[in-house]
Amino acid sequence: MGAYVLRRLGYGVGVVLGVLFLLFLLFFTITAPEDIARKALGDKAPPEAIQTWLENHEYDRPLWPWQDWDENLLFDHYRKMLTFDFGVSDADDSPIIDRIKAGMGPSLSLTVPLLVLGLFVSIPLSLLVAFFRETYIDRMGVFLCVLAMSVSTLLYIIGAQFLIGKVLRWYPISGFDASLAMLPRFLALPVLVGLISGVGGDVRFYRTVFLEESSRDFVRTARAKGAGEARIMIFHVLRNAMIPILTRVVLAIPFLFMGALLLEAFFGIPGLGSMTVDAIQSNDFSTMRTMVYIGSLLFVFGQVATDISYGLVDPRVSVE
Amino acid sequence: MSGGHRAVNAGCAKTTLRRAQGGVLSAIRGPSDFASCLLGIGLAIIFSLSACSNDPYPPEDGEAKVLYSSFDAAPRTLDPATAYTTKAHSVTGVVYDTLLKYHFLKRPLELMPGLAVDLPLVTPLEGGRTRYRFTLREDLLFADDDCFELNGEGRRTREIVSADIAFQLMRLADPLIGSPVAETFANIDGFVEFAAALEAYREEDPAFADLAAHEQYAAAGGVRGIEMPSRYVLDITLHRAYPQIKYWFAMEFTTPVPWEAIAYYTGQDGRPRFDDHPVGAGPFVLSEYDKQSRYVLSKNPNWYGVRHPEWKAPAAIFPTEGDEEDRRSGRMAYAGRSLPLIDRVVVVREKESIPRFNKFLQGYYDASGVIKESFDSVIQGDGLSAEMEGLGMRLGKAVSPDVFYIGFNMNDEVVGRSNGESSRKIRQAMSLAVDSEEFLRIFQNGRGVPAQSPLPPGIYGYESGYENTFRRPNIERAKELMTEAGYQNGIDPTTGEALTLTFDTSSTSTAGLNQVRFYTNAWRQLGIDVQIDGTTYNQFQEKLRQGDYQIFQFGWVADYPDPENFLFLLWSKMGKSDFGGPNATNFSDARFDELFVSMKARDNGPQRIAEIEEMLSILERERPWIELFHREDYSLYQGWVKNVKPMGLSIPTYQYRDIDPTSRSDKRKAWNEPVQWPAYLLLLAGVMVIVPGVLTYFKERQ
Repeated sequence: MGAYVLRRLGYGVGVVLGVLFLLFLLFFTITAPEDIARKALGDKAPPEAIQTWLENHEYDRPLWPWQDWDENLLFDHYRKMLTFDFGVSDADDSPIIDRIKAGMGPSLSLTVPLLVLGLFVSIPLSLLVAFFRETYIDRMGVFLCVLAMSVSTLLYIIGAQFLIGKVLRWYPISGFDASLAMLPRFLALPVLVGLISGVGGDVRFYRTVFLEESSRDFVRTARAKGAGEARIMIFHVLRNAMIPILTRVVLAIPFLFMGALLLEAFFGIPGLGSMTVDAIQSNDFSTMRTMVYIGSLLFVFGQVATDISYGLVDPRVSVE
Repeated sequence: MSGGHRAVNAGCAKTTLRRAQGGVLSAIRGPSDFASCLLGIGLAIIFSLSACSNDPYPPEDGEAKVLYSSFDAAPRTLDPATAYTTKAHSVTGVVYDTLLKYHFLKRPLELMPGLAVDLPLVTPLEGGRTRYRFTLREDLLFADDDCFELNGEGRRTREIVSADIAFQLMRLADPLIGSPVAETFANIDGFVEFAAALEAYREEDPAFADLAAHEQYAAAGGVRGIEMPSRYVLDITLHRAYPQIKYWFAMEFTTPVPWEAIAYYTGQDGRPRFDDHPVGAGPFVLSEYDKQSRYVLSKNPNWYGVRHPEWKAPAAIFPTEGDEEDRRSGRMAYAGRSLPLIDRVVVVREKESIPRFNKFLQGYYDASGVIKESFDSVIQGDGLSAEMEGLGMRLGKAVSPDVFYIGFNMNDEVVGRSNGESSRKIRQAMSLAVDSEEFLRIFQNGRGVPAQSPLPPGIYGYESGYENTFRRPNIERAKELMTEAGYQNGIDPTTGEALTLTFDTSSTSTAGLNQVRFYTNAWRQLGIDVQIDGTTYNQFQEKLRQGDYQIFQFGWVADYPDPENFLFLLWSKMGKSDFGGPNATNFSDARFDELFVSMKARDNGPQRIAEIEEMLSILERERPWIELFHREDYSLYQGWVKNVKPMGLSIPTYQYRDIDPTSRSDKRKAWNEPVQWPAYLLLLAGVMVIVPGVLTYFKERQ
């Protein structure tokens, strides 16, 4: 088990280093350090101010090691990330770690309800369509799921803001307030949109899983032994369907911290997803690489955690 | 045997399915239970709907005199030495105060005393130097702040003295701060030497670099041209004539800054950085600042207008002089009232324009721009649509103090000066082909004023009746000019093919390229083939530095309302190739230069007007620019917002605004009553889908 985890983590190191290199290569292929400075200082900034900014932010060095082995941006990029020295934002010089701490709360306040409610909605719905399989409820359910999956999240956002926020006036169109009295009001619409945009794929996935499990021999055996249907469903089918459910949930948990890019950006939620979008828009390389780095680390740890959790929910599975 | 077993299993499977279905609904024993369930869900939906509200503000905000606004992204910095954007100025412009201010109602803009007792006393000195003497009001206080505890426990503020302005001016020179306006203040005697001395001291002595900023400045000897003859008097000596310096004393770059704030707000020990925590002496304080979410400006009880209303200081009361439009709009009813008129400004982050505009329509923002997507439904003709007028909204239009233009590189062999009369005629012909009015109609919803010269409306020297001969589209005349230039039908006689030129642009988005294509299509009518060379901004800047370009497009937004701030863009001493200045056309004309130098140092008057007119006539003939347009901002205001009169130049006017909170509250209620029937309809639809299925199930089970 230990050796397996170490081996998986070893692969993960390679993935993370590769991601960091790709990010550096892609970013500096289309952007020069002067662009970052100009974006930060504004178009009216004179060349001297640009140069001072580049020096103060250590962007006045060559990009690649073959240009200057001792001082180059690539090695500096790796050194800073691998030592978790995130530094300050290129856009406004604020410490990135502070921004991450501040953004995590709003992100979690959106993504955790979204995940939990998503499970509460999609698992019962998929059970429903699975049990009514081959009926019009099943067919309509699958049709609606495919329809829901086919529509862009952006369209849901704009549509919900227009219909529910503007026309029906049920919830604020956008905004955020962390106070307990106001938070549910602001989260209602983004959570609803997140649920609708995600429920189609989830229900189709869980339905397949439940259908597969309900036709297994152990279900038949349980029935033959006189077990009640509720017991069969909860203690046999659902429990045996836990592996795929768990895979999905455990993989999703690390990314809860990263926020939801589109939902946060469009609903004005000051979370980490919104911060990442801002960083992309403002050529803020320092913030962008931090978020990509954290994202890749979470992905690697999420993968390993998923593998370990298999063993916990299903004793037949062991990792070697 | 085995066949019999299969048969039993098959029978089992049938029963299994039924039982499985029974499992899901095992808790519901019959149709009546099911109906009860539906009723419960329905009631839950109805209750949750009755608690619904789209009001994004807490109830306690309802009746307060609060102005609600929005921002799309937080400013990079609020340090008045480096903040140079409209976003930043909307905060720094009211959190910091300046020696001079602009009159709120007079147009063209006019300076008046702010923190200073009067306008500066100007004294010419020997050697072409000039001294500006500012006298500060006494008993001015900074806003309450923790940083003043550096002067003793429990201290929350202190008096503002001339040394606080001197300190800020020295910060502008500090190379570590990198102020974007350091070059302008290099007109102050000893400013450049002070910057060099600071740098040298820091390099030589690490202990010096560890001192607090104000100690470093004192140890470096200060700036020769900044003197403080007394606690309240500040003398600024310029080593060359630059009368426009007075405008800079109406900008936050020259605001008093307490040394304590710089020493205290370092970003260490859990304190914010000075960039994010302004400590000023303006009418408002930044009482809440979350860059990602919202900020709040609250009335500053230490502001001299609040503490000393009896002074009736010009910048602390609503103006008593205004024009006919001010009287008609009711602004003059406020004449003489102490400022600020509102208690707070709440500014909420809205990254996307559509939600922002929709919230404005719901009454949750007090002002808004007009978004492209809703332009036709909001604006009809020159005014508001009937629907918007019915809601009590008002439209504010203001021509921005800017100019957008196409420039020719005057060092180029084809379109530049070396080709003499021929290239001048090409430039004149190309100028005649571009229709600014059509451009504005297609790309700006008609918002903008076609430019006839570099000077926009509201700037001294602008003549509304002036018509540039080469800025009224005339393709026939343009073709004649091309023939006179030796390029009949646009054919280059040396190659026998169409004259080919290059238009460099860093605006490579689809919209940006479409705009450039508008120009190139216009020139195609003359037979000129203009190729578009799209590059990144940096590559474009590099081309400018190397002089490797022919035609480009630029814009300029004024820092202050003086013609010098536009015409310097064509002064040869600002040439891009020779001096790295903003004169990207490298235009150089001896007479223009002579007039510019004279006009720059002269006070407004007939002589100055005559010089400006001659300069404009030179530009009209030489055509280094094709002047395109001056932008026109359309702003929508709710009916409950009073005293809206944009000043341009990124000057916020929150202290003059007033709100009728009762009217706002009533209208918000009327406009935002939730529509509940669709929820009941949804519920009904759900019932209609689910009930038949469940009834079928119960029927089968029985």
